[in-house]
Amino acid sequence: MSGLVEIQLLNGIVQGMIYALVAAGLTLIFGMLDIPNFAHGAFYALGAYVAFTVVASTGDFWLAIAVVPLVVAGLGLLVDAFAMRRLARAGHVYQILFTLGLVLIVQEAIVLIWGADPTSVDVPRGLDGGVPLGVVSFPYYRLFLVAASALVIGVVWLGLERTKYGAIIRAGIDDPEMVDCIGIDVQRLFTIVFGIGVGLAGLAGALILPIRGGQPAMGQELMAISFAVVVIGGLGSYLGAVVGGIFVGLTQAIMTIVYPAASEVAIFAAMALVILVRPQGLFGKR
Amino acid sequence: MRRFAVLVVIVALAPLVLRYPELETQILTFGLLAVAFNLLLGQMGFLSFGQATFNGAGAYVAASALIDAHAALPLALLAGLLAGGATAGLIGALAITGRGVYGVMLTFAFNEMAYYIAFQWRDVTGGDNGLRGIPTPALFGLSLDDATRYYYFTAVVVLLAFAAVLRIIDSPFGAVLRAIRENENRARAIGFRVRRYKIAAFAISGALSGLAGGLYAELFRFVPLQAIDLDTSTNVVIASLLGGIGSPYGALLGAAIFTVLSDSLSHVWSHWPLVFGLIFCAVVLFFRGGLWGIADRWTRRAAHA
Repeated sequence: MSGLVEIQLLNGIVQGMIYALVAAGLTLIFGMLDIPNFAHGAFYALGAYVAFTVVASTGDFWLAIAVVPLVVAGLGLLVDAFAMRRLARAGHVYQILFTLGLVLIVQEAIVLIWGADPTSVDVPRGLDGGVPLGVVSFPYYRLFLVAASALVIGVVWLGLERTKYGAIIRAGIDDPEMVDCIGIDVQRLFTIVFGIGVGLAGLAGALILPIRGGQPAMGQELMAISFAVVVIGGLGSYLGAVVGGIFVGLTQAIMTIVYPAASEVAIFAAMALVILVRPQGLFGKR
Repeated sequence: MRRFAVLVVIVALAPLVLRYPELETQILTFGLLAVAFNLLLGQMGFLSFGQATFNGAGAYVAASALIDAHAALPLALLAGLLAGGATAGLIGALAITGRGVYGVMLTFAFNEMAYYIAFQWRDVTGGDNGLRGIPTPALFGLSLDDATRYYYFTAVVVLLAFAAVLRIIDSPFGAVLRAIRENENRARAIGFRVRRYKIAAFAISGALSGLAGGLYAELFRFVPLQAIDLDTSTNVVIASLLGGIGSPYGALLGAAIFTVLSDSLSHVWSHWPLVFGLIFCAVVLFFRGGLWGIADRWTRRAAHA
């Protein structure tokens, strides 16, 4: 048995980092910009499929990792500039409904372009081995995934907390009119934040591709889990999204060992518990 | 009142024109689901992304009552109604703790939870294979094992439920829900116990959804896992918006159009959801009143002319 439990826990962290990436993006958009983006999972799925195409046509996974966040973020900029801003005055309900329409479009476009069958790519060359761990080994690629996610999450955090632009964004969230008065186009910055948020989801989709492959419905399933993650971590808390993501990934992994039938239900049960005991989430304010 | 009379006539005559009673019955059960959704969104201003949770709870409970307890159809439907109401009351109580959008997210997440429970709890729900073996419908000894007869039975139940919804909207209770929608803090300041009203609205909406689930289960004598999945919840949201959020009639209209379209278009082009999504986004951007809103504007303009 030696090694198997450890492998499960490591896999939990790998999955948790994916949740953390997605939820970090979601918390930027949902928690900070206050835009209910129900298409976040669709951007994640799109990331996986764009990565698939890049790998299929160039054979270069690293290129995919570089291109995907830019492509997905670019789409995000368009969505925010043309729809979300326009709908802001109509209210949250219409923003939700628009993103719902986006989900339909993206999901069906994926089936149309890439087909309904699951797709997969090989683990990039150079990372195809593994670290020996007892009787089994742990793939290098998964270690890379954890490191890469941690790096990106850290860079975005530093950008928000330690740069001039981050300071302007945070100020704009607290008091948009004031920031406008100083002569800064805060809306444009918000659109960029929206782009970064969905870009993170796209990157997560690209990173998971060599492990899980892609399916058209992959976004929908992730959407519900990342909602649970931000509720547990605290809506609007960047740190909460990251910690919540890893927590949920580990919960899922542990339940898979203990009682696999309830591994998904456990996530939402944890969410319900957090709502009852600490409604603002583990790291939320108020 | 006149609108309701027109609705009754349309529902009564529909089988003569369309001659496809199963689909029409489905329009009614899905319509009831949309009306239940509309009660929360149109009156209270809460977008529930979890109507399938209550629909599924009602379907499974009503079906189990019919299969295991050999309950009479009205009793089984009542059980489904109560199950939907109780589930919705519980989830509503959890979902309304935060600000509006936060609650939407919670109804979504709890729907996924309910789906996984139904998926894994095979003894009760049949899991992936669905719940089978529901006996043929009968009412006080009269067999309803005929698609047209079952349509009329469903029509009576759904129209009664619809009339109840109209009554609720016109009642002081409905007025409080609208007050909450317009300004929650003010409603609270006047002295209404907002939280109780919200949970009650959830329970009523859930009860109607559970009833719809029970009727649906008996229609096909089968409860598929789809009865409780997020796609169904999404479809309810989409259909209601297409019809128009402002009115329960709009919800019915949207449900009818959605059901007929998805039935016919899926034969024409399997990727129709793509076009549908584009239309839907356009509706959100440009025609927020939905079809009912457009029709309403036209009839008013005609009345003025």
